[in-house]
Parts: sequence; C-alpha cells; structure tokens
Amino acid sequence: MIARPFFLRSPTPMPGWGLSFGIMVTMLSVIVLIPMAVLLWRGFVGFGAAGIWEVVNRPRVWSALELSFRAALVASLFNLVFGVILAWVLVRYRFPGKRLVDAAVDLPFALPTAVAGIALTAIYAPNGVFGSVIQQTFGLRVAYTELGIWIALIFVGLPFVVRTVQPVIEEIDRETEEASATLGASRLRTLTHVVLPMLAPAALTGFALALARSVGEYGSVIFIAGNLPNVTEIAPLLIVIRLEEFDYDGAVAIAIAMLAISFTLLLAINLIQIWSRRRMGAV
Amino acid sequence: MNIEIEEISKDFGTTAALHPVSLSIPSGTLVALLGPSGSGKTTLLRILGGLEFPNAGRVLFDGSDAKGLSVQERRAGFVFQSYALFRHMTVFDNIAYGLRARPRKTRPNAPEIARRVTKLLDLIKLPDIGARYPSQLSGGQRQRVALARALAIEPRMLLLDEPFGALDAKVRKELRQGLRDIHDTTGLTSIFVTHDQEEAMELADLVVVMSMGRIEQVGKPEDIRAHPKTEFVREFISA
Amino acid sequence: MTHTLMIPARPRPFRAATTEPPAVKLVLIILCLAVLTVLLFAPLIAVFEEALRRGWAFALASLSEPDAQSAVRLTLMVAAITVPLNAAFGIAAAWAITKFDWRGKAWVITLIDLPFSVSPVVAGLLFVLMFGANSALGAWLVANGFPIVFAVPGIVLATLFITFPFVARELIPVMLEQGRAEEEAALTLGASGWRTFLTVTLPNIRWALLYGVLLCNARAMGEFGAVAVVSGKIRGQTTTMPLMIEMFYNEYLSVAAFTMAGVLALLAFVTLTLKSALEWRYADQLAANHRH
Repeated sequence: MIARPFFLRSPTPMPGWGLSFGIMVTMLSVIVLIPMAVLLWRGFVGFGAAGIWEVVNRPRVWSALELSFRAALVASLFNLVFGVILAWVLVRYRFPGKRLVDAAVDLPFALPTAVAGIALTAIYAPNGVFGSVIQQTFGLRVAYTELGIWIALIFVGLPFVVRTVQPVIEEIDRETEEASATLGASRLRTLTHVVLPMLAPAALTGFALALARSVGEYGSVIFIAGNLPNVTEIAPLLIVIRLEEFDYDGAVAIAIAMLAISFTLLLAINLIQIWSRRRMGAV
Repeated sequence: MNIEIEEISKDFGTTAALHPVSLSIPSGTLVALLGPSGSGKTTLLRILGGLEFPNAGRVLFDGSDAKGLSVQERRAGFVFQSYALFRHMTVFDNIAYGLRARPRKTRPNAPEIARRVTKLLDLIKLPDIGARYPSQLSGGQRQRVALARALAIEPRMLLLDEPFGALDAKVRKELRQGLRDIHDTTGLTSIFVTHDQEEAMELADLVVVMSMGRIEQVGKPEDIRAHPKTEFVREFISA
Repeated sequence: MTHTLMIPARPRPFRAATTEPPAVKLVLIILCLAVLTVLLFAPLIAVFEEALRRGWAFALASLSEPDAQSAVRLTLMVAAITVPLNAAFGIAAAWAITKFDWRGKAWVITLIDLPFSVSPVVAGLLFVLMFGANSALGAWLVANGFPIVFAVPGIVLATLFITFPFVARELIPVMLEQGRAEEEAALTLGASGWRTFLTVTLPNIRWALLYGVLLCNARAMGEFGAVAVVSGKIRGQTTTMPLMIEMFYNEYLSVAAFTMAGVLALLAFVTLTLKSALEWRYADQLAANHRH
C-alpha cells in the first residue's frame, strides 16, 4: 500500500505546480486562514468557551442571535418555496419579458447591500409606497419592525434557490413526467411525487446558501430594521456596537457564537442532503 | 530512431499499471500495442511521450537515456485519443502551433510556416479546411488534423493513442490506410495503441500483446497468429 | 353489427401531459411577477425616484461634492487592487486543483468557500483583531506609519476576504470539464508552461474568467458591512461609496444618498447586462451550467 500524504502529488510533466500551489496556499492562508485562526484563538484561548458563554448568555445578545437566525430562517423558507416556483416558471413557461425577469433575479447578487437597504426602507416606511398601503389595509408596520427584516432578507436570499434549482429543472427528462401521466397520476401528483423529489437536493442547497447569507447580512437590514435592542437588533449590529465600545472580547464572543450556530446549521443541512442523495441514488 | 525500453514500471497509487516491461523497437517500424483496457498500453505510450514519469527503468532513444528530456524536447508527435485539438484555434493555427512554439532561433518565418501547413493539409488530403474550427469538423477530419499537427514538428517518432477508436467502420478503414501511407512516406518509428486485434494485425509491422501491465508476446502479426505463446494471446487473437 | 359512434360529452383541447392547465400557469406567472415587482423592481424604481426628487441638476451636484468624489475614487481604487489579486488567486487555485492530482482538494475547496459563510461584519472584525491598534502587530504598524485598520490597506484586505471565492468558483468547474488533454498536446508540440497557459488555457477559460471578474467587481465595489467595521468611516479618507450612502442617509441628505445609490445601481445594471450576455452566448463555457 502506497499511502499518499496530503498535498503531495506524484510528479507529472504538467508545469506550474510550484507556482500555482504556492500562490493558492499563500493567499488562502494570509487572507482567510490566519485571520480566522486569530479570531478563534482570541476567543477560545483568550477567554475560553466559558467566557464566550458568559458574554452570549445575556438577554440582549440572545435576542439578537435569536432574531438573526429566526429572520434568516423565515426568509429562507419563503425563498425556498417561492424560489422553486419561480425557477419552474422561468424554465417551463413563456411570457413576454421573461428574459428580462430571468436576468433581474440576479439583482440581489449585483446590487450593493446598502443600496438595497435604503431602497427597501423608502418603500416600506410608513410613508412609503407600499408601507402606507399595508398599514392602512392590514394595520401592520413593515419598516422598523421584524417584518421589515424579513423582507430585506427575502430580497437578499432570493437568487440562491432559483439559481441552484433552475439547471436541475432544465435537465429533467420529460419522459419521467409523461410516464407518471400514463400511469394515471394527475398533474399535481406528478409534480409533488415525481418532480419535487428530483429538485429537493438542489433546493436544499439553495436554502442553505440563502440561510448562510441571510444570517450574517448587515447592509440591507440595518436601515429597515429600526435597531431597537432586544426587539429589532440583529447580531451583526451588536458586534459593531461592541466594537465601537472597544469591547473586543464581547465582539469576538458574539462572532464565534454566530459562526458556531451557522456551522451547525449548515452541517445539519449537508447531512440531510447526503441522506436524500443516497435515497435517490443515480436515476 | 530506434527505441529501447528497459524494465519500465509505473504505479498509480496502489495500482500497478506497468510491471517492469522491456521492449526493443527498431527504427522505422510501425508498432501496435495491443491489449484490453487496463493492460497498461496507454501508460506505456504516455511514458514514451514524456507525459508520465516511470517509477523505475529507462527509455533510450538511439542509445541515449531519455530521462533528462522534457516533454517539449522529446519531439514525439502525439495523437491523443480525443484528438485534443485546440478548440479556439482554426485548423491552420492548430497545425502551425508546434512551429510557432519553437524558440526564436529555430522558428521558421510566417511564409515558411504557411508553406509547411499547406503541405501537411495536402498530405492528409484536406486542403481546404484551414480556416475552419475543430467544432465544424467530422470525427475523421479531426483525427487527420491531429495527425498533421503532430507531424508539423518534424517528430522523431509518432505516438497514437487509440487513433481510430471513436469512428465508424468505414471511416476507420480509410484512416487505417492513410496511417500506413504516412508511415511509409515519412519512415517514422510509429507506435499506436489499440484494443482491436484485427486492426493491429492488419496495420502493424510489429505487434506487442499486453495484458494487466505485462507484455505477453512480441512479434510479427503472422508469427503471433501462428505461434501464440500464452493462453491469453491465443484467446485474445482468435476473438 | 351496429356501429356506435362515440362522441365525447365535451370536446377537450389537446394538452401535453407535461404542462399545467393554462389557468394555473397564468396564476403562477402573475404571482411571480407580483412578488418580484414588490421585492425587486419597486426598490430599484424608488432609488431613482428619490434621487431625482429635486431634479437632475441637484442630484448631479451632490455627486461633485468633495466627499462624494473621494468616495468614488476610493471605491474604484479598492476594486482596482482587489479584483486582479483575486483573479490571480482564482487562476492559480483552479490550475493547482484541476491540472494535478493530490489529496485534500475537497478541504481546500471548502476553505476557499469559507468567506461565503461568514458575516461581512465578522470579516471586518477579523482584520481589526489582527491589525488593530489593540494588537501587538497593529500597534507596531501604527507606530511605524503604516496603519492598516482605519486606513485603505484594511479596506483592501477586508474586501479581498469577502470577494475571495468568486473567480475560483467560476473557473474550477469549467476547467475540470475541459480536462488536461489540450495542455498535454501543447506540451508535446514543444510549448513551454507559460506559452501553454497563455495560448491554450486562457482562451478556453476567458468567458468564465470574465464572468467571475464581473461578480467579484460588483461585490468589491458594493461591500458595506466589512468595510464599515474596518475603515473607521473617516470622511474623505476611508469612506467608500456604500459608506457614503449611509452617511448621507443618516444626515437626512436623502437626495445625495439616493443619487450615490443610483450610481451603484447603474453599475449593477451594467454588471447584470454583461453577465446575461455572457450567459446567453457562452453557456457551455460557464460554471453555472456545470454546478448541480
């Protein structure tokens, strides 16, 4: 048995190994690994897991963390459902302006978060175009409440599910749907029992990406959120506040808490994906 | 150019692709490396071309060890199984590539390059396709362009990896004859890899039957047919 | 034998087995358009409406203000440094990963994607911790006149972190799909490593590279959270355009804020248009179609 150690490659005449691997590892270390290591060191070695817990286990911090994750979850679930529908409509249906709409879906990717932030606030503020209508019809305030945060995070996460599911829909073999129909299934049944399971892994991936993005989102949210402690204060904002107070340890603790929760969430989603892929196998 | 292969072996991780093999190829021969998939024939070809490094053993070109020769210096014209034409260049630029890649001292000037490319296009009997792109060519045409591209560098040997693999029977027959003609015209030592025993027997001067990383038998087609040395050879040839 | 002519009770139009009834389709299309209008198009329109509330002249004048001008310059400079660096990284990483066989690739790819899972504020925090005046390294740097935090280098570093994966993620699937045969062919024809890369690899990946650079640039110019933390928001020195938007907004200079936002929105339009053009023409050479 010849065991191959990590990173050691069996030499081939392909040129550029030293240079490419060197640049890759150097930049990865300097820009990503070392900074992350410094954060984790500061947190775990600096004041330990107990210290982190002590900072996190306070009402204001819990509220902020809960808010960030709850809002991200709600928004991403909405994007999961709506994203699948939108992807289906974009791939399967024809209507005037479809190409434009398809391109527009990427807007949240391309638009700076601060721009989105002030724009959404302008619309959903009590005196804004939609904000005023919603207030009069439903008696609900959007901007400066948690509802506003949901809207902002839906905006931010919109493209993720759509873009991961679209290619999968494009590659669906129509014959599978036809087979289902010939076996007597209604269109709805075909969609829910045949098509949807095929889309599930990609949709879950998109959901995870949207979730990861929404949890840490800052720029789109702080304008519309109102930022009231314990009510509409998101975790990233709390980190910024701690930094402004020069409470670095506090900031580090909250950051690590956020990373830990995100990591667990994403791990869980990855495991679900692996499980679902194993069930479906190669069709 | 004659080629001596001495105790060449190659592993990929835990798999032994080539147990130590030795082979002597006289100058100007058209050789077939014949065997089923996994026999190591492609690995041996790539080692000759410098695309893989052997774990042990050496290769001698006209008596001198090829170890110090880089891929670029070997001047082994290699025709890949998938042809590996440069998809963003015209046929002309593909064929001219090797000439343009030469260091300034040995590089021919533009009119000379054009002349040589035209000559090669005539040789492969496709004089008018210079401006086309690989995606616009048929499989048989691509194969011939790949051959012309390899010949352009005035190679010392020609190495072909399953050159007729992806083509239909009629095209294959035409190209087989074409390869034979080119070999006879240029007198180059040529080695091609195939799993098709009919092809090997029909084309080659020398057939090397391989299986599981070992050479089973070497000889002229008639000799192998008449006197198969091992059970494997007997079964493989009669198939 | 009597022939019974079977006439269906109600003639049904032919509908393929793989589509929904037209009514359903219509409802879904309208639903999607409605949500997109409320969520995407309305905010866009609002930006320009607010920017031009007091007319073109006023809006343009707000852009020629010195603070606005320096913000634009800073944003452009940061992008001009960050994008080429991350493009170089992306190319190097994609080459190392796709042209060679070695163990640990999955780990490396995961690490490259790490910045996507980190909040921009945390990204800024990373560099404040490393180079801020409270750290040993930071104090030394400030003392020697080379501050990183609350200065341009910090902004560049934070932006590098945020936009790190973009180019690599576009190139890796495409280069994996394209394989190594063309490069090997070039080597056998006598081309050196650099010649092979420049004449064979680069032309094959140019559209994927451009796509990745576009996305990287859009994000680099628009980054807010990370830069907010690391820059110190020093007016006229370390405020980028997004930070300027926040400042104008907080000072109730609505037109100025939305005008600058409008400029960035236009940038987003250009990015999207180029992106779509690349997708429509070169779909087969872009990662989006290779990722599932």
